[in-house]
Amino acid sequence: MADSYSLMQEQYRKILVTYLKEKNEQGLYYAQQFSKKVLENQISPEEVVSLHIEAIEELFPYMPEGAVDSFEFLLEVMMGYGLAYREHQSLRDKQRELENEINVAASMQQTFLPKEIPFVQDLDVGVLSVPASKMSGDYYHFVKDENGCVGLAIADIIGKGVPAALCMSMIKYAMDSYPEQRLQPGALLENLNRVVEQNVAANMFITMMYGSYDPRVHHFYYSGAGHEPGFYYNYAEDSFDELSAKGVVLGIRRDSSFLEYHKKVEPGDFIVLLSDGVTECRTDDGFIEREEITNLIRQYKHLPAQQLVENVFYQLEKLQGFQLRDDFTLIIIRREV
Amino acid sequence: MSVQSSVEVHTEWGIVSARQAGRNLAKEIGFGSVDQARVTTAISELARNIYLYAEKGEIIIETIEQYHSSGAKKGIKITAKDRGPGIKNIREVMEDGFTTSGGLGAGLPGVKRLMDDFDIDSVVGEGTVITAVKWLR
Amino acid sequence: MNLDIKTEHSKEEAILYIEGEVDAYTAPQLKEAIEPLTEKDGQLVTVDLTNVSYIDSTGLGIFVGALKSSEANNSKLRLVGLNQRVMRLFSITGLDEVIDIEEGKKEGTQ
Repeated sequence: MADSYSLMQEQYRKILVTYLKEKNEQGLYYAQQFSKKVLENQISPEEVVSLHIEAIEELFPYMPEGAVDSFEFLLEVMMGYGLAYREHQSLRDKQRELENEINVAASMQQTFLPKEIPFVQDLDVGVLSVPASKMSGDYYHFVKDENGCVGLAIADIIGKGVPAALCMSMIKYAMDSYPEQRLQPGALLENLNRVVEQNVAANMFITMMYGSYDPRVHHFYYSGAGHEPGFYYNYAEDSFDELSAKGVVLGIRRDSSFLEYHKKVEPGDFIVLLSDGVTECRTDDGFIEREEITNLIRQYKHLPAQQLVENVFYQLEKLQGFQLRDDFTLIIIRREV
Repeated sequence: MSVQSSVEVHTEWGIVSARQAGRNLAKEIGFGSVDQARVTTAISELARNIYLYAEKGEIIIETIEQYHSSGAKKGIKITAKDRGPGIKNIREVMEDGFTTSGGLGAGLPGVKRLMDDFDIDSVVGEGTVITAVKWLR
Repeated sequence: MNLDIKTEHSKEEAILYIEGEVDAYTAPQLKEAIEPLTEKDGQLVTVDLTNVSYIDSTGLGIFVGALKSSEANNSKLRLVGLNQRVMRLFSITGLDEVIDIEEGKKEGTQ
């Protein structure tokens, strides 16, 4: 530190002398370069003033007394900036530390989500989940059992970021501990609700839509706990229906029960599950209507499911000026024609 | 062995006197102008804390020397003592951004940064003692 | 953005008139206003949402917390004046089944 200071002192004197001699733009350009170096070497404002004092005392040994004193005065004035500068540096280090921690947590969170979507005969599946910041409050789940039946879930944990992510780990482990209910959406939500109700703060809750798909007969059973309704696309009629399942959010009542709904899925039909980050998408003109989302889906429905969800996301992202306010998850499961 | 001066702080004038005493001694010891300003600012902040939160206290300024195998080291030591309310959570006031938000002052972390050594002891209901040392390089 | 909360007290009822958007930023403010009221035994707490254009999930959480608190403390929570968008949120989440809600304009209180 002392070394770099004397080095800077030397350099400062040199460029100052050059500037005073030539008084041109080049000299000022050196000054600008020097100011970058000052920051790089973490030299604080009052030290810069001191550099200046030392240089001109050397260059002008017969300076009027008042001029010299005025620099001492300036030095005193700069002390506050110096302190603020140092504090800023230490806060920046702290921020970096926090960011690193969050990055580690975010990559841990990734392990809660399925690493890949299992291949299922006759089904075309697309999944996209994008957090608004580093950590997500959206959860999805996708498992295939030995009979080829698929259990899938989409959940939205109230709030976002770190608190939501912490809560997600509970959901993930609870889901893993009920393998026998994978094919009974209502029963699964009832069990899950009991876990959530006992373990979350009073103002926390979780919404979830859970479904099971039997690809041998193409039946889809599903139940919902206060989750944003999805859509069902009917290929024969080329129409979208709301896919809603009535039920209260998880974590409110210990003894909630959840109705089970059923759909017979025909070739070309598809199921759309989403989080409220999709429908609560806000633009300058207000909220996006659900119809705008089905229009977007319709526009890309000829594409494979994964490309479909990616294109819909891109368009919604664009509508919001590429700034996500809420976590976003979109899942499409299509029975192939 | 050491030059020592003690300044009572219960008005803003006391803050100025403490600054003056600190600057004189720092100059005498041989500190450069930047370090003089640092020592003075640290005294200023400590004295201001006494004035604002404890109403009454004193600032003691003294020269200190430390002997090493390689020779002696000289420095200035500031002690701020008060019988004020004390600090409940010292860790909190030592945290950046706690007292300084809005640019109200340097706070204790600022004082710690300005000086080389820093030590604080506080008992709620009894008072606070802060010592800070700057060594001559 | 700020939430404007006015509280009116009568003998057994406290009415909170809320104005603005209830989101992650304003939710703590709402919580501070509602929760102490729901902790009073026998208190009827009416929240007038006529001038609330939007509630996000964190905001909903405050009402959930207030509901739980009212059940634990034997007070009563009632929401009135919900616009269509806000009402949809309560009905999708099934909270309309557990919270006492009156849609639209409130017809004055007793």
